[in-house]
Amino acid sequence: MGEPINDVALAHFLLTGGLLFVLGMIGFLIRRNLIIMFLCTELMFQGVAVTLVAFSKFHLDVSGQTFVIFVLTIAAAEAALALGLVVLLFRSKHTLDAEAWGELNG
Amino acid sequence: MLTLADSQFSAYAAVGLLVLMAAGFGIFNLIASTLIGPRRRGKVKEMVYESGMNPVGDARRRFNVRFYVVAMTFLLFDVEIVFLYPWAVNFASLGPPEGDQLSLMFLLRMGFFVLTSVVAFVYAWGKGVFRYD
Amino acid sequence: MSNLMVDKVATLWPEMVMLAGAVACLMTGLSSQASRRRTVVWIAAATLVIAGIIAAAGTAQATSGVGLAGMAKFIKVAVAAVGLLLLMLNTSSTSQEGVALMRDTPELGGEFFAFFLCSLTGVMLTAGADDLVWLFLALELTSLPTYVMVAMGRQKLEARESAVKYFFLGAMSAALFLYGFALLYGAAGSTQLADIHQYALDNPHDGLLMFGLVLAVVGICFKIAAVPMHFYAADVYQGAASPVTAFLAFVPKSAGFLALLLMLGIVGWPLPQPIAWLIAAIAVATMTVGNVLGLVQSNVKRVLAYSSIAHSGYMLLGVLIGPPGSAPGSGNSATSAIGNGVAAVLFYLLAYGFSTIAAFAVLACLRVENDEAQTYNDLAGLMQRRPALAAVMVVAALSLLGLPPMVGFLGKIYLFGSALTQGYVVLVVIAVLNSAISAGYYLPIAASCIFSKPMRDVQTIEAPGRQAGAVLAAILAVVLGFGGGKLVSSANDAGRVVKQKHADKVSQVDQEKQFTSQ
Repeated sequence: MGEPINDVALAHFLLTGGLLFVLGMIGFLIRRNLIIMFLCTELMFQGVAVTLVAFSKFHLDVSGQTFVIFVLTIAAAEAALALGLVVLLFRSKHTLDAEAWGELNG
Repeated sequence: MLTLADSQFSAYAAVGLLVLMAAGFGIFNLIASTLIGPRRRGKVKEMVYESGMNPVGDARRRFNVRFYVVAMTFLLFDVEIVFLYPWAVNFASLGPPEGDQLSLMFLLRMGFFVLTSVVAFVYAWGKGVFRYD
Repeated sequence: MSNLMVDKVATLWPEMVMLAGAVACLMTGLSSQASRRRTVVWIAAATLVIAGIIAAAGTAQATSGVGLAGMAKFIKVAVAAVGLLLLMLNTSSTSQEGVALMRDTPELGGEFFAFFLCSLTGVMLTAGADDLVWLFLALELTSLPTYVMVAMGRQKLEARESAVKYFFLGAMSAALFLYGFALLYGAAGSTQLADIHQYALDNPHDGLLMFGLVLAVVGICFKIAAVPMHFYAADVYQGAASPVTAFLAFVPKSAGFLALLLMLGIVGWPLPQPIAWLIAAIAVATMTVGNVLGLVQSNVKRVLAYSSIAHSGYMLLGVLIGPPGSAPGSGNSATSAIGNGVAAVLFYLLAYGFSTIAAFAVLACLRVENDEAQTYNDLAGLMQRRPALAAVMVVAALSLLGLPPMVGFLGKIYLFGSALTQGYVVLVVIAVLNSAISAGYYLPIAASCIFSKPMRDVQTIEAPGRQAGAVLAAILAVVLGFGGGKLVSSANDAGRVVKQKHADKVSQVDQEKQFTSQ
């Protein structure tokens, strides 16, 4: 796998991954459009992927990178599921605004 | 522990230069065309650029739901293919399938994996995902 | 290398049978003949029976990351058994009259039962996980099908809304515990739970590891509906069809608790101070929030949702205690199950599962104006109309409350007793007070069934499977309350730490590393 990265470069990658994750989480909490909320969870997954690859390179251990492939698979499965559910909801409500969920008094 | 402002940062100088050049090129062209370009208005001039085609209708029109289904099916099978790459990279170092017990086992295992994809494909076929009429 | 892989695969036969059954359901559901499509229920039932038998006959897993190897076999058998019960609940009505009454319930197709089996497989896989990648995939295999089941199970806007809500929060929580997993991997440099466990023993004050663990625990809290990830439960439980809600109350929760035990097994029991405080705080907050908010609801499904939250709080006490022999001077003998926190959690999962499944089964059998029975008023006077269902509901409510001789009482004895032997007196007092609060909503359910006059035109649907499931769950709740000793002792055996020879483990890992780095 070549040379390991040093801990300065690791810090850069971890910062990037952490930023992606936090941005995704903030977006998920403050945006109200269902598609954008879903993209924010994808952003969180990508932040995790960057973190995993950085650690994998740091430890010179491939299992982190295989983990990323599995994470991508799950992300794709979630994408398929999300679009299916959102289309299902859109057909009956004609809006993607999360505030419009009124049927359940939560 | 070194800080972020370390000399390591210079490794990203090339990327920064590229970003500056790309942004600068775009901004320069915008400014130059507003300064020296002629201003003529007309129906054809204000038309949306569609690679030389005449734009028909609104861009935000509804697509048939069939497109989403096909796109999602593509995405899922596409991701399954990703698993074949690490396998293919390692398989060459395991020797030819005949004679070697280990590589035969890995071949069978990948065969099982592909079989699961085939099952998914048969299901999608049976559901009529690929039926266009 | 190859032997190691074969050994690992040999412990997974029940899961493979389940997945094969799921595929068979999927393919049968494609058939154009309705009579053939109806056989999917029987295929699913046969799959569960075969998987359960294989799991019961099979040997316990040879290696497990943090030493909780006995857990897997117990959970596999239990999941197959409870799965059969849940399957009975999810069979739809066959008679003409029933179809007319259930216009809001779609005919459940092959996909539904395939997802049903996949989700149960996820729980089985979670119990045997010895690797972070495995654990992540098992948890997602448990969760992803449930989102679809919520949306499919009921043809109402509420169900779709709750499915979307459940899915979005589930995806967010998955990202959260996944980030925790990434940090654990980063700290220890391996995805194998055994390696991370060893690393945690060598470096007890590693900040990265602790932070990753906390993120993972908070993310998994979604699966068990614990504070701070509990708020979805009431809406989702209300929106989903009652048989699916019963599924949600048992299956993802079991997977969540198993994952939590494996996660905390990394640092080992007794838990390090900050983690122990975190779990205790979550436990107290969860049981209190669940019980207090449960008091103010008028919808029985929402009440049961808050009850589900509260019960997660009780079970977290068992998670806090952990397996026996981990605390110095805890004074456990091999025969006594009290003091074994893991065994208490495993038993309580089943006790809670049977009780809550019985309650949701009664709701699933009743119809009010083409909708599900949901309010206290709908249940009023059930005793005069359907004495059997009313009795089931009363048993379920009393068992959830924890009154003897129901199984819920036995479960609470083991849980709270174990906490007492470890000296968590304050926590036990809080838990007992909470049980007293919970009488404020369980007793009205039972009372309105028995004493109130019938208020609304409640009809019973002709779904023999559901009614049989309701009665069976209630019988189990009573029988296990009297004679749960066998189950307790097997839970006790399951919840022990099996010390493995670490030297073997290391050499295996080295071999794998060597192999993968080629």
